[in-house]
Amino acid sequence: MQKKIVTLAVSAALALAASGAYAADAGPNDVRVGAYFVHFDAQAGDISGPYTPPGLNVHVDSIVTLYLAYVRSFSEHFQAEFAVGYPPLTKTEGRGPATLGSVPYNGQVISTARWLSPTLLLEYVFGSASSRLRPYVGVGVNYTKFFARQSTAAGNAASGGPTSISLPASVGPAATVGLSYEITDRWHVYASYSVAQVNTKLKANTAGIVRTSEVHFWPNAVVLSAGYSF
Amino acid sequence: MLRKIGVLWAAVAALGLAGCGHDSPTAAVATSNSRGSLQVDPAFRVASLNATDLTAQLNSQAVGQQLIQLAGTPACGVDVYYVKYWTVAPDNSPQLASSALMVPTGAAPQCSGPRPIVMYAHGTTSVSTYNIAAVTDSTNAAYSEALTIATVFAAQGYIVVAPNYLGYDISTLGYHPFVNGDNSATVMMDALTASRTALLSTFTPATTDDGKLYVTGYSEGGYVAMATVKAMQAASDVVTASAPSSGPYALEAFGDAIFFGQVDIGSTLFGPLVSTSYQHAYSNVYAQPSDLYSATYASGIDTLLPNAMSLTALFQSGKLPQSAFFDSTTPTSATGNTAVDTAADQLLALPSSPPYSASQAALFASGFGNPYLISDAYRVGYVDDAVVNQDQAEMTLINGGTLDSSNVALAATPALGLRQDLKLNDMRNGGWAPQTPMLLCGGDQDPTVFFSNTQIMAAEWAPYVQGGLVSVLDLNATPSGPFAALQGGFQATYAQLVTANGPTAIASYHGTEQPFCMVAARGFFAQVP
Repeated sequence: MQKKIVTLAVSAALALAASGAYAADAGPNDVRVGAYFVHFDAQAGDISGPYTPPGLNVHVDSIVTLYLAYVRSFSEHFQAEFAVGYPPLTKTEGRGPATLGSVPYNGQVISTARWLSPTLLLEYVFGSASSRLRPYVGVGVNYTKFFARQSTAAGNAASGGPTSISLPASVGPAATVGLSYEITDRWHVYASYSVAQVNTKLKANTAGIVRTSEVHFWPNAVVLSAGYSF
Repeated sequence: MLRKIGVLWAAVAALGLAGCGHDSPTAAVATSNSRGSLQVDPAFRVASLNATDLTAQLNSQAVGQQLIQLAGTPACGVDVYYVKYWTVAPDNSPQLASSALMVPTGAAPQCSGPRPIVMYAHGTTSVSTYNIAAVTDSTNAAYSEALTIATVFAAQGYIVVAPNYLGYDISTLGYHPFVNGDNSATVMMDALTASRTALLSTFTPATTDDGKLYVTGYSEGGYVAMATVKAMQAASDVVTASAPSSGPYALEAFGDAIFFGQVDIGSTLFGPLVSTSYQHAYSNVYAQPSDLYSATYASGIDTLLPNAMSLTALFQSGKLPQSAFFDSTTPTSATGNTAVDTAADQLLALPSSPPYSASQAALFASGFGNPYLISDAYRVGYVDDAVVNQDQAEMTLINGGTLDSSNVALAATPALGLRQDLKLNDMRNGGWAPQTPMLLCGGDQDPTVFFSNTQIMAAEWAPYVQGGLVSVLDLNATPSGPFAALQGGFQATYAQLVTANGPTAIASYHGTEQPFCMVAARGFFAQVP
C-alpha cells in the first residue's frame, strides 16, 4: 500500500513534467534553503509490556532544523516540491508518573532519534507568473526513516537497563499551504505550513523485555526559506 | 543545470550521512547455555526503590507495617534485577530459569561497597507464573514473599539471590523437581553463579560480593537451603552460615507420618508435586498415575502442577481435592502376614485422640474424605512397606519415644519406589553434617511442615547441636535466649489470629512463621561474620 502511494505520487509528478514544462523567466528549477520549525502533536498509546506500570506515555519535543528543497515547475500553476530537512535530533520525554519506583520518569528525556523525512508534494500555485506574491497549496507523500535511535541514560534507568529502540519507517500523506514572494527574477522568499502523517510502532527492548507503543507523530512545520530559480 | 541538481542531491546526501549514528544496543544474549551462564547481560532491573519509597510502599498496607515493625525500617534502597540463567533439569538437559537479584543501594555505609550475599529459597507454590523478582507487582503470587525478603535482607544491606525454581516463571520444563535435593541445589548454585556475573553490571557496580555467603529458605525453601548447603560443602564452596526454616528435611519420616494418617495442611498440593517430581527423576513411583491416585483425580494429574490457575481455582474446578488426601473409609492391609497386617491396620485407622491431641486429631481428620486423592491400594502398599522397612525416626515418634541420635535412622531398604525416592532425598541421607553454623527455625505446632522434620535433623546432628554449630529455634517455645523477642512476637501474632479467626487460624500458622524465621536468620547471620 505504501509502495503504491509512492509510485502514484512519483508517476503523477513525472506525467506533469512530461506534459509540457513551463519555462519561467528564470527557469523551471528552484532550490530553497531555510528553517523547519517542527512541532509534534504526538499521540502515543500508553507503553505496554512486561514490568510496565499503567499510564506511561511519551512526549516529543519540538525541533528546529535546516530545510532544503528542490522545486520543479511544470506550468504556470503546477510545481512539484521535494523537501528534506537536516535529520534533526528529536527528543522524547517520559509522560506519566513522576517516578518509576524511585527512578525519575515524567519530563525526563528518555530517548533520542534522528530521522530523514523527505516529502514529495504536488503544488498548485495561485496567481500569474508575473505576480510577486503567490500563494500555493500542495498535497503529497512523506516518507520518514528513523535512525540513531538512542535510549538515554535516564531512559535506560527508567527502562531497567541498556535499551534498543525500534521505530519502523513510515509512509503517509502530507499537505502544505504557502506563500512565495518574488524579490528578484531569481530570488524568492517563502513561508509555508506543512503537516504530515507519520505513524510508527515504538518497540523498546531491555534485556529481552519488549515494550511497545503506537506513536502518531503528526509533525506540523512552519518553514521560512529563501529560493534561487534557474 | 544537471550539474547544479547533482550538487544539490550531493548536499542532501551529505546531510543525511552527517546525521547518521548508531542505534543504542540492548543487553547481550549469551551464546553458551552451560550451567550458571547468565543468559542476558546486563540483567534487567525490574525495580529501583530508595529506602524512603520502599518504606512508603510498606507503610501503605497493614502487612507492610507489621513487616517494618518486625524487620526494621529499611536502611537501604533496593534494586531488583531479573536474572535469566542456564541450569539443568534432573536429566541434565539445559534449562533456562530465572532468579531475583536484589542489590542494596543508598548512602548508608551498609548499603554499598563489598556486601555479603544471602541466597533465599522460596516456599512451595502451585502457581506457574510465580516470580520472586516481581517485587512491585502485587498481582504476582510471589509479591508478598518478594517484599518480605527485600525488606528483611536487601533493605538491611544484604545482596539477595532468590531463584524461581524449575517449572516456574520462564522455565519450560513442564513440571517442578519438587524436593529433589540434588536438582534443587544445582538450581540454587547456578543462580548464584549467574547472579555473581550479573552483579558486575548493575546500575550500582560499586556494590560487590564480599565473599560471604549465607543460605536460607522457608518451607520447601528450607529443604532447598539445606540441600544447597550439603551440595556446596561437597563442592568445597564457601557457605558462611545457613538458616533453613520449617522445611521437610526428613522426607521419609514425613512421608510415613502422612501415610500413617497424620495428614498435613497442603498435602493435596504436596502429594502430586512430589510424585510427579520423582516419577520424572526416577520413573519408579507408578506405572500409570491411577496406580497412585484415585480414579477421580488420576487423569491429567501428572501434568497439572505447576499451573497458571490459582490453587483455589484448581480446587473449585475439581482437579484437586481441597484437603481429602485419603479415603475416609479405612482400607485394610492384606499381605497375608498377620503381624504386618495388624500393625498396618493400626496405622491405617483414622487418627483419633488419644494418641493425638484433640486439635491434632481434628487437623488430621480433615485429610480424609470422599472423593479423595490417593488410592486406597497405594496407601495400603505404602504403609505395609513402612511397617516392614521402618523409618526409625517416625517409629520413635509414633510410639511416643524421644528422638536422639540412636533412633532416627532411615529405613535400610525400602521396597516401594516412592519411599526409596524419599529416602534418597531425605537430608539424613549421605552421612553429612553442616560444617558452618546452621540455625533451624520453625514452630512446634506447624500443621503444614511438621516440626518433627527439624527435631529429627537435630537428633541426627546431636553432637553438632551440643557443640553449638547447629542451633534450633522453636518459635512456639517459652521465649528465651537471643530470639526471645521473636518467639514472643510470633506467639502474640498467632494468638491474635486465633482470636480473630478461631480454629481456622491453624491454616495460617505456617505462613505466619516465615517472616519471624527470616528475621531470626538475619540476626543469626549477623553473629557469623
